[in-house]
Amino acid sequence: METVTSTNKEPMPGPENQEPDITKNESVSPWKEAYWQLRKNKLAIVGIVIITFFILVAIIAPLLTPYAFNTINAGPRLTGPSADHWFGTDDLGRDTFTRIVYGARISLMVGFFAVTGALVFGTLLGIVAGFFGKWVDMLISRIFDIMLAFPSILLAIAIVAILGPSLQNALIAIAIINIPIFGRLVRSKVISIRQEEYILAAKAQGMKNGRILFHHVLPNSVAPIIVQATLSFGTAILEAAALGFLGLGAQAPTPEWGKMLSDSRQYIQSAPWTVLFPGVSIMLVVLGFNMIGDGLRDALDPKMKN
Amino acid sequence: MKKSLLLLLLSLVLVVFMAACGGDDEPSDSGDTDDEDVTDTDDGGDADGDDGDAAEESTSGGTLIYARGGDSQSLDFASTQDGESSRITLQIYESLLRFNENSFEVEPSLAESWEVADDNVTYTFKLREGVKFHDGTDFNAEAVLTNYERWSDPSHEFAFTDDGYAYSVYGNQFGGFKGDEGHIIDEINIINDYEIEFVLKEPFGAFLQNVAMSYFAITSPAALAEHGPAINENPVGTGPFKFVSWTKDDNITLDKFEDYWMEGYPKLDRVIFQVIPDNSARLTALRAGEIDIMDGLNPDDYETIQNEAGLQAFERETNNFGYLGFNLEREPFDNVLVRKAMHHAVDKEGLISLLYAGLAEPAKNPLPPAYLGYNDSLTPYEYNPELARELLAEAGFEDGFEFDLWAMPVARPYMPDAERAAEVLQANFADIGLTANIVTMEWATYLDEVSAGSQDVFMLGWSGTNGDSDYFLGNLLGTQGIPDSNSTFYSNADVDALLAEARTTVDEGERAALYEEALAIIHEDTPMITLVHSIPVLAGSDRVKNYVPHLSTSEPLTFVELAE
Repeated sequence: METVTSTNKEPMPGPENQEPDITKNESVSPWKEAYWQLRKNKLAIVGIVIITFFILVAIIAPLLTPYAFNTINAGPRLTGPSADHWFGTDDLGRDTFTRIVYGARISLMVGFFAVTGALVFGTLLGIVAGFFGKWVDMLISRIFDIMLAFPSILLAIAIVAILGPSLQNALIAIAIINIPIFGRLVRSKVISIRQEEYILAAKAQGMKNGRILFHHVLPNSVAPIIVQATLSFGTAILEAAALGFLGLGAQAPTPEWGKMLSDSRQYIQSAPWTVLFPGVSIMLVVLGFNMIGDGLRDALDPKMKN
Repeated sequence: MKKSLLLLLLSLVLVVFMAACGGDDEPSDSGDTDDEDVTDTDDGGDADGDDGDAAEESTSGGTLIYARGGDSQSLDFASTQDGESSRITLQIYESLLRFNENSFEVEPSLAESWEVADDNVTYTFKLREGVKFHDGTDFNAEAVLTNYERWSDPSHEFAFTDDGYAYSVYGNQFGGFKGDEGHIIDEINIINDYEIEFVLKEPFGAFLQNVAMSYFAITSPAALAEHGPAINENPVGTGPFKFVSWTKDDNITLDKFEDYWMEGYPKLDRVIFQVIPDNSARLTALRAGEIDIMDGLNPDDYETIQNEAGLQAFERETNNFGYLGFNLEREPFDNVLVRKAMHHAVDKEGLISLLYAGLAEPAKNPLPPAYLGYNDSLTPYEYNPELARELLAEAGFEDGFEFDLWAMPVARPYMPDAERAAEVLQANFADIGLTANIVTMEWATYLDEVSAGSQDVFMLGWSGTNGDSDYFLGNLLGTQGIPDSNSTFYSNADVDALLAEARTTVDEGERAALYEEALAIIHEDTPMITLVHSIPVLAGSDRVKNYVPHLSTSEPLTFVELAE
């Protein structure tokens, strides 16, 4: 947070100069304002660049490399980075760059679906708990508490152990362990909104619960959800990599980064590139999402306004 | 942001700190187990002197830690075929005869000498006197008889048939069980306390070879009575080391047996068999001095270890083969065209250069090349994806199919990294349009499930333990190996008949011809894809002296010493 305020004090070109316009303009939407705030945040911009880069790479993966991610070839086994193999090859002679590039698809997909799943179910449960209160809240909140009492990766391992190891099941497990995080966030937000006058007004008008929930409560709790979703994206990718590393996530020959790490860890001394590149990729993506998440939180927080 | 950076830094510092602590702890840990070493903590110089004295007086042999990839399935040698089990039971138990440390030549062990009568069916063993079991009872002819009856008679009080004990190796090596027509042992007679006579139904070439196998070691009858079916967790034998404790999936601890009959042996005070599943973690432990010998060295590391100071590398002679077996009771693997197609799809040479660093050769017979009856005239299934696709089409599977490919979770002598090998095979099969899903599970479960036939296609291998071809062919591909060692469920009456005939043929040339004929039939039926014969490699600290890896999978550590 400190960094943000300090950057604000420094004279900056571009967005900084346009700021006065916004404050003058009373009718600017909060979203637009958040956008300007975000643009001022250098770290968030770096994060956006990193993630955009990885998304692009994932989309055009086949155009980037002449190899297939699963072509085993005894010839170029464990060769270092070269013009032919930018990131070297692994112990089965597969091109590491190709596997990283295709791995980006896997990681981003896992992140997206796991977070979407957790967000949808977590938000629903959170709204219901927060809005109806009483025993419904009691029940849902205690379930969340129980889930949060487990170390998240342990819970994920348990879920995968029950469902059987596969990428899809790892994705489901990650979604499940993230539900209470969204649920509790939304619940607390809803409880504070519930007391607002406009909700009371809506109730007094005889508006149905469902309508109040989705037309008034939800839109007003959307900001923290977005921040949490972005941050969870990073954690979800990290958790998928951890499960892959433990052999519980993606199965061979899927080029999942965590699995690549665990497959190659015995070559960490003799062929460090086999471990370095998947490791750096995981780090960059997670870092990217965290930077965006932090930036969004600052941008969407009304208290942070200048 | 600053906060999270700080947190990251802090956790880094913590990790480094913890790693440093871990390093410091280890030497003192291993020192604790050894009385002589405890004084080391006082002063480095003095301690060295102490150790020298200790070595001269040979009051302390020290503790040897032997690391391996998987835990033992059972400590009852007779009812399991697991190599990790015999690795332990060879230390605790002894058979009447044993193998020379470099070959499968038989030598006296619990039997001091033996005589074969002119009729070629009566074998008289003169037993060693004064041998004690670890529980203090005497070893004698009665004990030998009890053990042989236990394996041959399913209704024997110590057979524990109701508790799931089965002695399939006995059944195979001796042609069946009591009452079976093929059972080669007619009767066993006690002549006196230290003389016992085996009368066979007909001459049997491999008899002494079989008696020397670790599967036919002698358990204390008193312990069998005391522990009952729990004998597999409370082994009591006459061997150089006695059982202390077994922590599943972690370690098995054995102590020197003070009353061992061989004067002055064993040299070591204690042996700990430690399970470290990961090959590279095991090597790291060896380099750190936490363990003394490691099984399952990655072939990739072999050269490095040979030139590394403080370490030594060991080679076992090749005496095994790794295979990919089909479950013939499942579709579509009951179709010989499918099996042939898949055999043609596998690039064995590629597998060897990828996973064995050249320390292996492609296998075309389910028998190591030096064995009697190895059929060298067979044309191996060449690597030919085109032909494989044609065969698949002929079998009606031009669109391919999906199946589970079971891979062992642990390093085996014939397969240093099964999961990686499975990936290579998966790619080979993908080339001909088949989708293989790699399945893996805990080692003991894996063996049980494979014997029970829950698999489609599975990886496994076999290592020779008595130098006899029948040990390979009979166990793996004979009908009597079902449902145990024969997990392909291959059952061919012609093969069975040839193997039975070979078993009772004494002339080596004739036996060889019978095996060659059986191998030709097996080759045509191809119930398994024979992959490779490997040269297993091990590594150890250079403190380890007199360790000679036997060409069977394991060896007693009676003569092994630890230098300071």
